[in-house]
Amino acid sequence: MADEEDETGFDEEVDDGSSGVDVGHGKRKRLFSKELRCMMYGFGDDQNPYTESVDILEDLVIEFITEMTHKAMAIGRQGRVQVEDIVFLIRKDPRKFARVKDLLTMNEELKRARKAFDEANYGS
Amino acid sequence: FQTPNSKLWPHFMKCHQFSDILHEGMSGQPSSKRLKVEPEKKKDKRQKVDEDEIQKMQVLVSSFSEEQLNRYEMYRRSAFPKAAIKRLIQSITGSSVSQNVVIAMSGIAKVFAGEIVEEALDVCEKWGDTPPLQPKHMREAVRRLKSRDQIPNSKYKQILFH
Repeated sequence: MADEEDETGFDEEVDDGSSGVDVGHGKRKRLFSKELRCMMYGFGDDQNPYTESVDILEDLVIEFITEMTHKAMAIGRQGRVQVEDIVFLIRKDPRKFARVKDLLTMNEELKRARKAFDEANYGS
Repeated sequence: FQTPNSKLWPHFMKCHQFSDILHEGMSGQPSSKRLKVEPEKKKDKRQKVDEDEIQKMQVLVSSFSEEQLNRYEMYRRSAFPKAAIKRLIQSITGSSVSQNVVIAMSGIAKVFAGEIVEEALDVCEKWGDTPPLQPKHMREAVRRLKSRDQIPNSKYKQILFH
């Protein structure tokens, strides 16, 4: 996708940091500008990343999610996206695999903790 | 603002994994940490490794400058909005997806974003530039990750038999 980003696309882009329509690539409204800026800073970029770079990253992330979704739909229960499919697709990538496993584990623990808390309160 | 020591960043990514990995040793750690020991000893060893890592993290974080603390907080807290991710996935599938799917997808999308930014920072440093990252750094990072098969691309159908 980055290979399709040609120079003219950037010249046409609105340069004032607004989250308006991106002329250069598919006229899609920016979904994650704010969050991506924080994320890029967290990962090591400047505290004020360039808007063009943020946009490139957003396009890449959306493409990544799109690809993963399509692949997940093709395996397991066809036409649906299930967690097992995602875990299967990511199995060879140690970082992502560990991250998913841990996020899901933490979520289960949180749900259990919340449930226990609610039940304790219900009694009183 | 001062650019923090770039040597810390691989450490951050690893620390991201350390705090995440409670059970499996799947982080790409040196194989010395994945010894073949009896199940019970393995569990103790795993817990000790976790405690060691947690302690190391505490020592590291306590030595951070204010700017580094800010950055670390952003690193930990930044996340994609769940509603937008859910909408995006559902617009592709045409049907609804579970909360766990959204959680998983948001998580790996963040790791993916991190991999690109890290690579782009390497490129930036190698080319003698400084942050903020420019589109040319991002594009070169993508090129490198693609050559390492770290970026999925199923745009071109493989012709297996003909």
